Amino acid sequence: MTGPHPAAELSDTAAKDTRTAQKVSSTTVAVLAIYGLVAVLILASRAVSPSLGGLSQIETVFYLSAFLVFCAFGQGLVILVRGLDLSIASMITLGAILSTTLMGGSNDGLLYLVPAILLVCAMVGVVSGIGITFFAIPPFIMTMAVGIIVYSLCLGVTGGTPRGFPSPMLREFMQDRFVGIPSPVWLLGLFVILGTVLQGYSSLGRKLTAVGNNPAAAHVAGLSARRLTILAYAISAACAGFTGILLAAYSNGATLRMGDAYLLPSIAAVVVGGSSILGGRGSFLGTVGGALLLTTLSTILSALGIGQGWKTITEGLVILAALILLRDEVFTALQTRFRRTA
Amino acid sequence: MTNQLAMSTAPHSRRLPNLKVLAESALLIVLIYAVMAVVYVSVQPSALSPYAIEALLNNSLPLMLAAAGATFVILQGGFDLSVAGIISLVNVVIAVMPVDGPLGALANLGVALSIGIAVGAVNGFLVAGLRIQAIAATLATMIVCQGAALLILGAPGGYVPDFMVYDLTGSVFGVPVALVIILAVIALWSLYRRTDAGRNLLAVGQDRKAAGLSGINVERTEFFSFVWAGAFYALAAYMLAAQTSTGSPSAGEPFLLLSFAAVALGGTAFGGGRGGVTASLFGAATLTLMQKVLFALGVSSFYTGVIQGLIMILAVLFAAAVRYAVRSRRVA
Repeated sequence: MTGPHPAAELSDTAAKDTRTAQKVSSTTVAVLAIYGLVAVLILASRAVSPSLGGLSQIETVFYLSAFLVFCAFGQGLVILVRGLDLSIASMITLGAILSTTLMGGSNDGLLYLVPAILLVCAMVGVVSGIGITFFAIPPFIMTMAVGIIVYSLCLGVTGGTPRGFPSPMLREFMQDRFVGIPSPVWLLGLFVILGTVLQGYSSLGRKLTAVGNNPAAAHVAGLSARRLTILAYAISAACAGFTGILLAAYSNGATLRMGDAYLLPSIAAVVVGGSSILGGRGSFLGTVGGALLLTTLSTILSALGIGQGWKTITEGLVILAALILLRDEVFTALQTRFRRTA
Repeated sequence: MTNQLAMSTAPHSRRLPNLKVLAESALLIVLIYAVMAVVYVSVQPSALSPYAIEALLNNSLPLMLAAAGATFVILQGGFDLSVAGIISLVNVVIAVMPVDGPLGALANLGVALSIGIAVGAVNGFLVAGLRIQAIAATLATMIVCQGAALLILGAPGGYVPDFMVYDLTGSVFGVPVALVIILAVIALWSLYRRTDAGRNLLAVGQDRKAAGLSGINVERTEFFSFVWAGAFYALAAYMLAAQTSTGSPSAGEPFLLLSFAAVALGGTAFGGGRGGVTASLFGAATLTLMQKVLFALGVSSFYTGVIQGLIMILAVLFAAAVRYAVRSRRVA
């Protein structure tokens, strides 16, 4: 029973729950710590190479992390309701392939094609959600099976080699700058604001958190746990599709294995960001921090020019270090230490 | 905890022996496997030749062992992604070990098990000792192991002793070695689940708090579940090296999702407390057999994934339906 209890927020007249306040502050500290870690990494990378540690590297990190942030938002919502979305890789591929084949390198219909593709992806998410809620299939199995089916359909329909090109307008958007900052970074900023409001401050976000905290209690409180869970999977699939559309525009084409590189990092970003894999607790800003941390790390390691083996090992060790340092116990220990000295 | 469980189910098992046994044991997945085997033999009669059976068992064995390992962790309510990393790491270590003959194979086995147990112990320490979320901790160890595998062997290759490649994938007195290993694992599990450690594993998975209050050392149980898992992954990698006669730094990747699918097919509950290793073994064997059946039926290789995914969903639904039927009869 961690995090704000759903019953506590339903009754405004109840005495103020101080434990909630304490929890929130520890989450805030955890989120700040991640961003601190990112800043330290970027500054420290000056030692690695003079080209790093500057504004251009920060720009690159934001640009590249955008893809991960988009799909990790959906993953975060699914994890919030005690699920896991393993179909993300296939949904990214689906979004990318649909966008290149349907757009076919032209701008006609861009305005309705993008929402249509997102809708198709969301429907696939609804199918996963229905299997998980109404048929009680474990999320792990359901999303993996749906992922395999979608991937296999992509493979069969394209015959192994996806054709077509993204719309030139989207391509330009990925390369353009607005007020000196790449447009995808603006998009990332907008997405982060919307996502934070949706997950942390909207009634939908609070309902999802309540379902994740205690589905039975949420049901008693009058929430439709099933409908909310299905919605989380739909949003996740649509976010992955969105990532796919942008990835296809970024690399000017789609490939079948395009999404693979984002599945495990999307889970890692959410968990490193302090969300509980058991659901009911998590903040999107933490997830964004986790995504920035992972992206910063991989850009620095690439610049180091070390072999793939050492690169991978370092990546794993840094994730591990972040996990060990960002534990609740560490904050509690720090808190008591500070209280004693104060 | 376990006593209470036994008391609540005992009277019913007398009334409904068949359905009850079917729902709670590995029988259900064995049944699914048998049906699939009948389909396979009917479309491909040559599948009954001793050579084909031996090949099928050899193909299935690595995934079966990996799924058996994953079951230990899932039964106590945990999660272990390190399977992909451990299999890759052990696989390449075997491929670079300059040993040969039966003694070399034994040395390989020793090294493999040491690596698996060591990584499993690290996982156990991170999860049970430092209280890091299992999925996150094992994700990190998986990545580290994959990196180490790349360091040891940058590209597929290496050398696997002939004894492993030929003798361990062959037959002894007409019995395939793979079958001997499978039977040994089943025997080991049926012994283990009757020990205190085995009961604790299920009790912790059913209710952590209650298990702790009733005197079970929850941390210890968690820790050793990861150690068992690591040992089984190492064994899987060992048999994989024997079967493919080569090492690859990405050998473990296909096992990541498939071993969990196998566990779920076997009916072991994610979240813990219900299921068993034997069921997972058959779940894994079913997955491998399914691919063979689809190939024999001439399904275009592009679309096999569609059917594979559908069968996975249907198998889980079928098992759930049987369990539901049993439960509603029990209430009535």
